[in-house]
Amino acid sequence: MTSNGMYTSQVAVVKQECPEAEEEEIENEFARYEKDFLIPPEDALRSVIRKFQTAAGKEVDSSAPTTVRPEKKVDRFAELGGDDRNVTIEVAVISYTPRVQTVRGEERQVAFGWIEDNPWESSSNRERWDFKDWGEKGGSLVPGSVVRLEGASVNEWNDKRSVNINRTTRVTVLKEGSDGTPPIGDEPLSISKASEVEGFVNVVARVMSAKPDVIVRRDGSGEIPVVRGSMADSSGSIGFLSWAPFEHEAGALVKIVGASVRKFRDTPEINVNDGTVVEPYHDSSFPDVAELSASSEATIADLRNGMRDVGITLQVESWDQRTFESGDGTSKVVRSGDVMDPSGRCRLTAWCEFDPQPGSFIRIEGGRVQFWQGSPDLVVDNIEQVAEISEPPWEKIDPEGHWVDVDLSSLVNGGSRRGIKTSGTVVAVRTDSGIIERCPECRRVLRESSCADHGPQRGQEDLRLRFVIDNGVSNASLLLARGPAEEFLGMEMDGVRDKITSDGRDGFVAHLRSRALSRPMVVHGRSIVDEQGAMVLADTAQLGDHPPSESANAVMQKWGVVL
Amino acid sequence: MMAQTVRRGSRQSAVRIFAQEYAEASLIEEGVGEYDPSFIITKLGARVNRCLVAGVIDRMERRDGDSGPSYRGQIRDPTGTHYFEVAPFQPELHADTEELLARFESGDRFLMTVVGRARWFESEDGGVFTSMRAEDFTVIDQDLYKSWLVEAADATLRRLSVYDASLESELDPGSLDKAGVPADLVHGTILSRGHYTDFDTETYRAGVLRALSLASGRAESVLGASPPEQKKLEPDVTGPAGGPVDAQQVIIGLLSTKGDDLVEYDALVGACTSAGASREEAEDAIENLRDVAGEITEPRFGFFQILKEG
Repeated sequence: MTSNGMYTSQVAVVKQECPEAEEEEIENEFARYEKDFLIPPEDALRSVIRKFQTAAGKEVDSSAPTTVRPEKKVDRFAELGGDDRNVTIEVAVISYTPRVQTVRGEERQVAFGWIEDNPWESSSNRERWDFKDWGEKGGSLVPGSVVRLEGASVNEWNDKRSVNINRTTRVTVLKEGSDGTPPIGDEPLSISKASEVEGFVNVVARVMSAKPDVIVRRDGSGEIPVVRGSMADSSGSIGFLSWAPFEHEAGALVKIVGASVRKFRDTPEINVNDGTVVEPYHDSSFPDVAELSASSEATIADLRNGMRDVGITLQVESWDQRTFESGDGTSKVVRSGDVMDPSGRCRLTAWCEFDPQPGSFIRIEGGRVQFWQGSPDLVVDNIEQVAEISEPPWEKIDPEGHWVDVDLSSLVNGGSRRGIKTSGTVVAVRTDSGIIERCPECRRVLRESSCADHGPQRGQEDLRLRFVIDNGVSNASLLLARGPAEEFLGMEMDGVRDKITSDGRDGFVAHLRSRALSRPMVVHGRSIVDEQGAMVLADTAQLGDHPPSESANAVMQKWGVVL
Repeated sequence: MMAQTVRRGSRQSAVRIFAQEYAEASLIEEGVGEYDPSFIITKLGARVNRCLVAGVIDRMERRDGDSGPSYRGQIRDPTGTHYFEVAPFQPELHADTEELLARFESGDRFLMTVVGRARWFESEDGGVFTSMRAEDFTVIDQDLYKSWLVEAADATLRRLSVYDASLESELDPGSLDKAGVPADLVHGTILSRGHYTDFDTETYRAGVLRALSLASGRAESVLGASPPEQKKLEPDVTGPAGGPVDAQQVIIGLLSTKGDDLVEYDALVGACTSAGASREEAEDAIENLRDVAGEITEPRFGFFQILKEG
């Protein structure tokens, strides 16, 4: 396509600013902005002028030397001089009084108060100064809190020194002030919302099960009687543990005020204590036990470490048994296998003589969940908990292609899962991607040829790639072990080693970055979700290359946008 | 609706955002605890701690300070300009940044993507200048740029629909939840609605349309609808929000917030460039204010202060 005449008016403007520039070059530049960078000529004007100015040497960067006001870091007020600026100090906030002051004819919110140095010691070892807050830092300067001030300055007037907290001062709360306890409202939460909080809640729920149990004190000093069970509403179900007498039977509808939600492993549980009020509640439209138990049926995707009383239907993929010697010298048999349902796959371990055929369907009642290699593992302890079922609950799943599509946000906010497929945009390429050395004893990654547990080692080489995938709302780390990494790179480990030797690790990572950064990545594998966040271990990972025009059309359809 | 558990110390997701929405944000939510992240809250309720942006490189410069080199760059998307920097304490990025700089200085222009952490600069006259510190970046091809345009358009449309829903709702978490506001936008929506005065969402919608038409290859139909800032033919003096930036105003504004405190030269220049002025304009403005207008003084070399009346 010839650009002749297309940019006449813009070229004229550029010529005016940069008389030396060749018209043809200017036209080519406009063409380039329009075609390559999708910026129409009228918008590109500024950039094009700047480019030709730079070329003509008009705009020479004079990099002025940076003068940095040195930070003065002190522990005590006594170390400060009258004209110190950029002071860093940790202080206790004693009082904070806001006031409106007129500064240069403008009303401004300022505040006065007292602060004390040496905040971690008793107050007899502290010195107290006045401060003035010019930066509206009231949110952080709560009386009773301990804060670090960075970039504060000293003010001296009539031989009295005080601290100025400025707009640019960084206030870091090291210890929260006293009035930080959140108020407990009366509003009951739904079970699903209560499961997300840790702390005091009120709920209205139907008791699904309740039976007395005992907890044996670890020090051997006796037993504590408790009541265990579960309760549910239409949003879900949750286990409970009552340390106080609990006289409501299965089927009762109760209102619970002031119970606390704690986590047993990854599973939230409602704790009922002496201070908790449990009273009967009347609501004829509240779902009954039958309705609630049908909706609290578990799927593999719902499983969390520490769950008890799990009812679930499964398809067996494989089954195995193994004999091992237990601590007391007797030999024991453990049976385990891979199981699936439409929501995914997991392991099942049986401590009883249960030998299902691969491909059969089974039903578990009262199972429990523990972690096995970071994933939930269903466990049954006796044969009464399991039964084979003849009527297939779903069309038989082919284990080969059984990957469940899970949106990244659901994955990150759910439990650890196997057999999932997800996708996200690569927003980080970890610089430790490439060849690593592992400890021959424990397979941990060596740091400077030394293992944290086994000391200096001659490491075994391995290959791994680490990324972060992100959909704009949620993110997860993504790990490719050697196999998937070789496939992703289209290169054996030897080739990777050669590349790192010739380009350096930085070069290798830069190459990886230019290939993957901001690209969508589709991953098949499993996820591990814990307090640190979510990690996806890939079986395979591929960069997506959806034609942007198609994605654009999909987005327009989704939001009803017409061009 | 999906549960949104917020874990302590977990990584913040990268918000896809066009330059205009980011530049027009002026609300900061500072983390209270030592490791709590801070956020820039946009008018559409995005809480930005980390973002993923893309565009054509428009400026790149290196500055040598006592603690090492730092770099500043600008990239343009269909709605405006994103400002990013690479700090002296990010030596792992310096080699790649030098390469970018060399390409830029040789006259090459190219599309790139940046993952950045939100930064801002505040001045007392109400100005908040948003920029980002780059964490990761790379040069990209046009197809990938178009994909980013689509992602950013999608994310912006999502925020626009939440904004519309919030107008009909009480501004508390329960009501917004009922109004269908997704969990990641509830907090930001409450903050933004409480801070910003009513504004016309049409300009954001126009930016989305421009991006989508470029990405879908139907650009011709809307090329006429260029952003307002480029309507005038004055080179090099338009700021991120569209209007010309008065570097002198920025400097006076900044210094008047400092009272007796001295502000270093680079901070003044930085404020001006963040506001969209060029480095030269900033330098001229400082000299002019000091030597001609006499509104500021330089009591110590490289440090400035507002000259007190009387």
